[in-house]
Amino acid sequence: MQIALVKDFMVFIVAISLLWLGALASWLLRHHLPADTRRGWILGLFPLSSFGIVLWQTLMLGETAVIHRTTWISTLNLDAVLQFDALSALFALLVTGIGTLIIIYAGYYFLNDDSAGRFFAYLFLFMGMMLGLVLAGDVITLFIFWEGTSITSFLLVAYKYKYESARAGAFKALFITAGGGIALLVGLLFLSSIAGSTDFATIMASGDLIRGSNLYLVTLILVALGAFTKSAQAPFHIWLPNAMSAPTPASAYLHSATMVKAGIYLLARFNPALGETEAWFWLLSLVGLATMLIGAYLGTKQKDLKALLAYSTISQLGILMMLIGQDTEIAFKALVIGVVAHAFYKSALFMGAGIIDIETGTRDIYRLGALRQSMPLGFAIIGISALSLAGLPPLFGFLAKETLLATAVHPSLPEFVSWLFTAAIIVAAAFKLVQAGMILFEVFLGNRKDETIQHRPLPKLVFLAPALPALMSLGLGILPEPQGLAEFFGAAAAVSFGDKVKVSFALWTGLNIPFALSVGAIGLGTVLFIQRKRLIAWQNSLLSWSFNGAFDQLIWGIDRASTLSTKVQSGKLRFYLSVMIVAMLGLVTISVGGFNLSQLATLEDLSLQENPVRLISLLITLLAAGATVLIKRDFFAILALGTAGLGVAIYMAVEPAPDVALVQIVVDILATLILILALTQLPQLQKSAAERLNGRFHLPSFIVAAGSGLLVTLITFTALTSRPRTSLVTPFYSDNAKALTGASDIVGAIIVDFRALDTLIEIAVFSLAGLGLYTLMRFAANKHQDHPPQAYINPRVQQFGIAGPQTSVYLRSMAKILLPIAFLVASVHMLYGHDQPGDGFTAGVIMSLAVGFTYLIFGFDEARQRLTWLQPFSLIALGILLVVFNGTMGYLLNGQFLSPIDYGGLLSITTLPAGVKLSSGFLFEVAIGLAVLGSASLMLDSLARPSALVIQPVTESESVPERGATAVSFFAKVFQRR
Amino acid sequence: MELLIAITIGTLFAISIYQILQRNVIRSAIGIILLGSAINLFLLSAGSVDGLVPAYTTLTGAQADALPQALVLTAVVISMGGLALILGMLYIIANRYQTSDLDEISNLRN
Repeated sequence: MQIALVKDFMVFIVAISLLWLGALASWLLRHHLPADTRRGWILGLFPLSSFGIVLWQTLMLGETAVIHRTTWISTLNLDAVLQFDALSALFALLVTGIGTLIIIYAGYYFLNDDSAGRFFAYLFLFMGMMLGLVLAGDVITLFIFWEGTSITSFLLVAYKYKYESARAGAFKALFITAGGGIALLVGLLFLSSIAGSTDFATIMASGDLIRGSNLYLVTLILVALGAFTKSAQAPFHIWLPNAMSAPTPASAYLHSATMVKAGIYLLARFNPALGETEAWFWLLSLVGLATMLIGAYLGTKQKDLKALLAYSTISQLGILMMLIGQDTEIAFKALVIGVVAHAFYKSALFMGAGIIDIETGTRDIYRLGALRQSMPLGFAIIGISALSLAGLPPLFGFLAKETLLATAVHPSLPEFVSWLFTAAIIVAAAFKLVQAGMILFEVFLGNRKDETIQHRPLPKLVFLAPALPALMSLGLGILPEPQGLAEFFGAAAAVSFGDKVKVSFALWTGLNIPFALSVGAIGLGTVLFIQRKRLIAWQNSLLSWSFNGAFDQLIWGIDRASTLSTKVQSGKLRFYLSVMIVAMLGLVTISVGGFNLSQLATLEDLSLQENPVRLISLLITLLAAGATVLIKRDFFAILALGTAGLGVAIYMAVEPAPDVALVQIVVDILATLILILALTQLPQLQKSAAERLNGRFHLPSFIVAAGSGLLVTLITFTALTSRPRTSLVTPFYSDNAKALTGASDIVGAIIVDFRALDTLIEIAVFSLAGLGLYTLMRFAANKHQDHPPQAYINPRVQQFGIAGPQTSVYLRSMAKILLPIAFLVASVHMLYGHDQPGDGFTAGVIMSLAVGFTYLIFGFDEARQRLTWLQPFSLIALGILLVVFNGTMGYLLNGQFLSPIDYGGLLSITTLPAGVKLSSGFLFEVAIGLAVLGSASLMLDSLARPSALVIQPVTESESVPERGATAVSFFAKVFQRR
Repeated sequence: MELLIAITIGTLFAISIYQILQRNVIRSAIGIILLGSAINLFLLSAGSVDGLVPAYTTLTGAQADALPQALVLTAVVISMGGLALILGMLYIIANRYQTSDLDEISNLRN
């Protein structure tokens, strides 16, 4: 197959987009479009133009496929491909052509229903998906559209979502088709991985490679599962009758003409790649055969006209599936004729059923009758279509059946299979004749059975939509053989077959075996029809095991299994945590593979010649950490925790890392303070109850903890002994710190200059933590006003101001002095941070500590009054804006965001004190200090008295006039301080 | 020294995991802070050179590795922010369910 690359392939994208535009139009204009017959005609223009485009392209289509490729993910070598060949064209014409009729018809069906805009929108969405599906040229595009049809079909079936049956039907359809979709996805991925490309062209060309692959059988089954579920093959057929709860235009379109054919299309498309094997033949033939018989058999039992049609659709889909399985020219001829014939007569029948439903208010064939008088047009249309369904001459359906029978007697089949197939097809054909007869005789002929049925005729033009396909059924049967059309059908079949297929529309091919079989089928059908009362009684008397029952059992089983799984879920957070930690340990152990303990033997440094302060600091840390476990009172455990943090700080100082040590000290104190604040907010009873839990030995936790400790020890030891002893990055920092940034503190230079963007993000995160905590606590405080937080007041202990009575005047004086001193110290840290230990973080936390101390001494209320200048939100904003300003200046002056600038030098300020530099680094330190102070005081604020966050209800007199009117007032309220 | 450091970090890690797995929420918070300390110690020890003097350009001698120090400094501050958030959540949970016992809180799922 040659491939032409056409640039103006845009037309197909336009064709799909037109349909989606239709969806948009019907949704946006749902209140503006007239809810009368005009609506369908207006909206019908969208699919009509789409049909026009497809038809135009079909007429221009030569021997070669038109392929359009757009690079999608170049790193994965993925292209989005559209492909247009005769097979695509055939389906695309059906999709858009019947789609046009359906939209016009839906305009009548939803006459005077102004809420139907939603239906039109869904239908258009589906149409676009379906067109995309048949135009797709690679497996990924195909799959996306494939799933799109499943989802939009779900929406359509569930359109009348207020009805239980609609919801159940939609669920079943989605459950089955989407389940098949997953199988299909995996199958398609296998397929493209074997072929080495997602492209259809490559995949079709590597058929031998695929068939020879180890994965062939798995791939085949997965792809076939996708097709079987979509095309309602047994035992997945059960969703189709339930999907009949969709409005009839959807049933006529999705569940007869288009979507259920997607599976047929898929397998027809992949026949060159996957077909021509024994497995393919048996799988498709047997499943198709079973489906054909089940559909034929169950159809006659139905009372609902639409259900009857649904089962006859299932039967026909089985036939088509069977045909694909056979690797003969005539089978593919039968396939294309079957697809088209079925699309014509079944869409006409469904539309007719919908008209009967609307006009009489029922679809029960045993209540209807004698409609020939009131609906002569409908009688003619449905009559023609039903005869085509029955496979009677001179209709197109007869040709379809004749061709089908010819495949069954084809000499290339094994004899007994041929015999079996022939018998099955005759039986099925006979049953279909009975079904067609039931439609005609019960509904249109005979006498009126139910006098209560009223007749409310629709406008006569409603019959136009079903009349066209019905006339096509007739026309293709009796008109002289149209040469061009036959060639087109042949070309479509050839794409699937992989070789030339000759198609002729001649009804009369002489007195041959197919004709004889056909006569046999008609004879048997007539007998069955005459005896249909007995037949149905016999069917009803049989044990009624149904696939639907099995499906319900399956769903029930899944429900039960899910309840079972909740039993495994203990609901205990600690248990989950343990599982996670153990799983993580396992994964790490597996992925690390082994630990390098060779250094253990040659260790010389166990001689404790190290700096003794180092050893002591580690010892303090460990002892204090151990004490947090052993101490029963939470308050003292927190103090022990603080000690452990200080031990770490000492270790850091000895490392020597003075900057880190400083930060660690102040942060450790602040963390301890916040922890104590949180503790004091818990009710006393609750706290003592919790404290009774402390000190209980819990063996599983101990095992998990000990295991993880051991693992971390091993990892650390391996990491430390095998780390590279020269750094690639640090020397650059050490050599250039002074020259580039003017700072002699390398750590400080890294933080405010070399990695300034990191630091910018970091203070943003820290600020967000404060803001987040505040928002969280405020939200909780306002949501659960029924549990006002009770601060713990222990009468026996003299507490500091935060929760107890006023503190002594000495302490108060001390706090008054401490605050300015702290700010002074912080300023020094910020000013000299580039040359000395300490930096903006330290400064910010020191200031926050002083604020915290003020809270502690003066109590919450008084502290708030004293610290009116402390506006956390402004501080945070100021800090971050300052950094951004700093960075922008760097960009403006040096062409790089956050590059160092010496403002002092630029402004030629020479009177600065020694060691002080008015550089961007200094500004950065100030910014960090401000943001940290703002965020930390917000934390203190929120945790010190959560009850203060409750927004007092606004009384009428106080209410602001523009209340709730603007977003600004909303934010103003959110950030109101109290 | 590596062995001692490794043992210290591992033990600290074990203690923090044990604390996190305790029933009392306050103990869980303590465990989270200790975990941060253990990790910071690890990062700090991972520097490529064992220095004798701090990383200042004005000082001569074997300088400590400045890079992990800068990272740890950042980590210390960030973990403080995280701690505040976690504390807020623990406080809200304990207050909402009127208990500080994690097992009792979990049992409220029904």
